[in-house]
Amino acid sequence: MLEMLSSAQFWVDVFKIVLIDLLLSGDNAMVIALACRNLPAQQRKKGILYGVGGAIILRIVLTFFAVSLLALPYLKLLGSLLLVWIGIKLLLPDDEHAEGNIRAETQLWAAVKTIIVADFVMSLDNVLGVAAAAHGNFWLLVFGLLVSIPMIAWSSQLVLKLIDRFPWVIQAGGALLGYVAGEMLVSEDLIKPVLGAHPALHWLLPLLGAVLVVALGKILSARQKKGPVAIDLADELVTANEQNKRGNT
Amino acid sequence: MKILIPIDGSDNGNGAIDYVIASLANQKVWPEIVLINVQWKLASGNIKLFIDPETLNAYYREQGAAALAAARALLDSAGLAYRVQLSIGAPAEAIVQYVQENQVDEIVMSSQGDASLATFILGSVANKVVQLAPLTVTLVKSKNRT
Repeated sequence: MLEMLSSAQFWVDVFKIVLIDLLLSGDNAMVIALACRNLPAQQRKKGILYGVGGAIILRIVLTFFAVSLLALPYLKLLGSLLLVWIGIKLLLPDDEHAEGNIRAETQLWAAVKTIIVADFVMSLDNVLGVAAAAHGNFWLLVFGLLVSIPMIAWSSQLVLKLIDRFPWVIQAGGALLGYVAGEMLVSEDLIKPVLGAHPALHWLLPLLGAVLVVALGKILSARQKKGPVAIDLADELVTANEQNKRGNT
Repeated sequence: MKILIPIDGSDNGNGAIDYVIASLANQKVWPEIVLINVQWKLASGNIKLFIDPETLNAYYREQGAAALAAARALLDSAGLAYRVQLSIGAPAEAIVQYVQENQVDEIVMSSQGDASLATFILGSVANKVVQLAPLTVTLVKSKNRT
């Protein structure tokens, strides 16, 4: 394990995993907090605890499940296509009309169920991204998990602020996902014969993946109608209290 | 005269209220004061898929009300009329949008509200507002708060 630490490739992979975790983890903590909002106060803590615990266990199980699945033939091809799609989705602005048929849960187990289902859906992106970037290295995989778990428990607006200040971070994330999609494709057994004949594809495919995601992201978001930058939620007028109005004192 | 005061809920941020009360005390006509708080828009597609909009809005309102409470108390005790605005989005952009949609004459805000490490590295909302807003922005240095 130690000689691994001195290779440049290892640190590049670490950087990739941190970026993927950062960009594809954000929402879990928010969903947990919001799903438990309508529970009675004494159940809320329990709900959050069960929700976080379940989400962490699910994340670990999914990661190892994904890795063993990716060892099967054809699935790397599928995985790399999914990664391209996840990358494009990251670059697209929010769809204002995407609203699920959901209601506020007031029962503990209903809230926990919402959290677990939500985490399953939201973890898939992250797990696949990290599994691709780790390309089979067990320690990188564990590292990716360790980085993502605190993000499940503590939501931070740090990512939102980071993207607001440096909008290119999100483009870089999309490009990175395209790149690891290409890398995954290169390791697919199915295309081994093609790669043997054209060794240049080893670096060309990841590069193409990155370009593809960024280009498609640009084209599709240009087509999407842009919503307002901000939404007004409340506007309230408070009139001055007559007794202590200025001039009376 | 309409003055917009962005409030982030931090003690530093409320320095702008003290400044407005103190510096305008001699004016004949009180300006119209609008407090604005912006909550980061958290609702990405995933959250909207699992959380109903009422819960989300209730959360925004609660956070916004908490952020505005101290600033409102300052104005209340000075006996001033004001308007309260809560917006959802990225803070600087939301502030600028409000300015563009309503006739605001001046923005008064603390030069640095939330004094976290993240703000230090990523730059303050005030910097961005100064850069984007097409009107006078008065920055209040926060150390002066008593």
